[in-house]
Amino acid sequence: MPVLEFREALRAAMSEEMERDENVVLMGEEVAQYQGAYKVSKGMLEKFGPMRVLDTPISEAAFAGVGIGAAMVGMRPIVEFMSWSFTLVCLDQIMNNAANVRYMSGGQCKVPVVFRGGNGIAHQLGATHSHRVETIYTRIPGLIVVSPSTPYEAKGLLKSAIRCNDPVIFLESEKMLAEKGEVPDEDYTIPIGIAKVEREGKDVTVVSYGRPLSRVVRPAVEELIKLGFDPEVIDLRSLRPLDTDTIAKSIKKTHRCVIIDEDYGYCGIGDAILGKLHKLCFDDLDAPIERIASDEIPVPFNHYMEEAMMPSVGRIVDGVKEVCYRK
Amino acid sequence: MAVAEVAVPSKVSSNESKNDGSVERQRIKTMLLIRRFEERTYQEYTKPGQKIGGFCHLYSGQEAISVGIASLFDKNRDYLINGYRCHGHSLALGMDPRAAMAELFGKATGCSKGKGGSMHFFDASVGNMGGHGIVGGHLPVALGFAFAQKYKKTGGFTICLFGDGAINQGTHNEALNLASLWKLPVIWMIENNGVAMGTEVARHSAETDLSKRGLGYNMPTANVDANDLDTFMAALAPAIERARKGEGPSYFSANTFRFRGHSMSDSMATYRTKEQQEAARLRDPITLYADRLMKKGLLNKEQYEAMEEEASNIIAKAVEQADADPQPPLEDRFKDILAETYPYQPK
Repeated sequence: MPVLEFREALRAAMSEEMERDENVVLMGEEVAQYQGAYKVSKGMLEKFGPMRVLDTPISEAAFAGVGIGAAMVGMRPIVEFMSWSFTLVCLDQIMNNAANVRYMSGGQCKVPVVFRGGNGIAHQLGATHSHRVETIYTRIPGLIVVSPSTPYEAKGLLKSAIRCNDPVIFLESEKMLAEKGEVPDEDYTIPIGIAKVEREGKDVTVVSYGRPLSRVVRPAVEELIKLGFDPEVIDLRSLRPLDTDTIAKSIKKTHRCVIIDEDYGYCGIGDAILGKLHKLCFDDLDAPIERIASDEIPVPFNHYMEEAMMPSVGRIVDGVKEVCYRK
Repeated sequence: MAVAEVAVPSKVSSNESKNDGSVERQRIKTMLLIRRFEERTYQEYTKPGQKIGGFCHLYSGQEAISVGIASLFDKNRDYLINGYRCHGHSLALGMDPRAAMAELFGKATGCSKGKGGSMHFFDASVGNMGGHGIVGGHLPVALGFAFAQKYKKTGGFTICLFGDGAINQGTHNEALNLASLWKLPVIWMIENNGVAMGTEVARHSAETDLSKRGLGYNMPTANVDANDLDTFMAALAPAIERARKGEGPSYFSANTFRFRGHSMSDSMATYRTKEQQEAARLRDPITLYADRLMKKGLLNKEQYEAMEEEASNIIAKAVEQADADPQPPLEDRFKDILAETYPYQPK
């Protein structure tokens, strides 16, 4: 099977869908002539031309609106944000227009737009460029939120997102774009709303997604195995809708759970997941669910401070030991 | 600084040479229907046992804009998007007054099934892409319709209406720029009634000639007397042609006056004198147009009165029906959120 970088998997998904459906277009800052701020769209302008791969001015509200409006009248735009942090200036477009227009029109419109880009802490970019927006968007009815953790998931989920008739928030990470993995050449899709058990185990259910899963959870799992633990690892893949069934089923087996994300603790995505599991799994749990999140500070520029604020292998190992009552 | 002017032909000639006045009388009829709808809405909103909730912004006085646009609008390929003062354009584009009134009453038979209310009238089947509640929030969405029109080469245009208050939002700058940069078939139109809620133009815009707020984007801009239906249509027609031919956007300040307050709680006491209001009534777009038709012999007093009565009856019936219409079933609150069912696996 071919090995692709994460960015190549995203490009493959977009290119295949653009070949499949002429209503699919890509727009965003530097996606065309510059070949993508992070080279995700490299070569696509040449392949599809300037009407389908469109450079936009630095006007997030304007081009988010282009995506929404065009989707409302039958197109399937992909809108790339250079960073999800920049969507704070166009929240109204996404939260009011993309998410609500179907409802407010009594179902007269559908909004098949994909908003995608890098989310979260991407190394020394400072507080304004390091927002983890999953909490903002995941709580909004009318939006779908997905976050792939491997190149394979990236391609399959993005193809599903493009074909989906609802607005999809697609959360990538600048720091994952060079990560490699096996990606089939053929057309495949991954369902939205179904989590993946990526490692079966019996001791503890480890729940994560996207960047934290790749950066720190998988290495922590290796460490835990060396220490004699047998963790079950769940890649959520979709944050909205959340596949609580898969998590609950796992907890029924392991009786313990640790949730890892890079959001803030209070009112963060992990809190929301925990809130759903608390009642659902109460009788199956042998220990309180552990949450491992980032420190509640603006994201510092300093490399060491930034590293220190995020979940680490050590904190995850400690969290697992705690819920397993082992030292 | 020079204001780029849209070329304005002296008269719109559409159908008029062989016309017996029926097209023009229909315009009067529609304006009367809108006026009557709004005045009944005012009554229904303010009378004891109020059946209309939420914010409600009336259109009385601005009818020539919606009716002028509707006269030049092709429902098969054009789009209209508006802010929250959206009753007038919806009726002008043919919305059943019952569906409009039922929406105000929050009923299941409302144009948006009671989920949108006064500020969110939609009728996508005729290109009415909605009223939108956030000031300036809909300007970027207009770009998307226009982009699709250009991409699919439909020859259609998108007209985006907004109040003078919206021009101070950041989206106004972003949307005007992108529209012109991409030569999108958009017509930006301020429905300039002179006051953003209670703040007059001179107190909210550093430039009081609002047509100039569209300068700097390399597109034609113009002021137009939007109380005079003929003048308004004559100014709009070339901008539509320009858009249809793929030559890009235009920008108008359609200058008008609203006869009612910003919303239902506003008596205009803090910003409009009695004299101003009386003077504005002398330029009522309906009587201006009706008088002209009468002078041309295309309309007589009896016809006008019959149209007034007809409008009144239609609206009375709409109120009666809307009142009798059912509340939406409570379980319907979970419908119309998403288009797909989840988990979603593409076919």
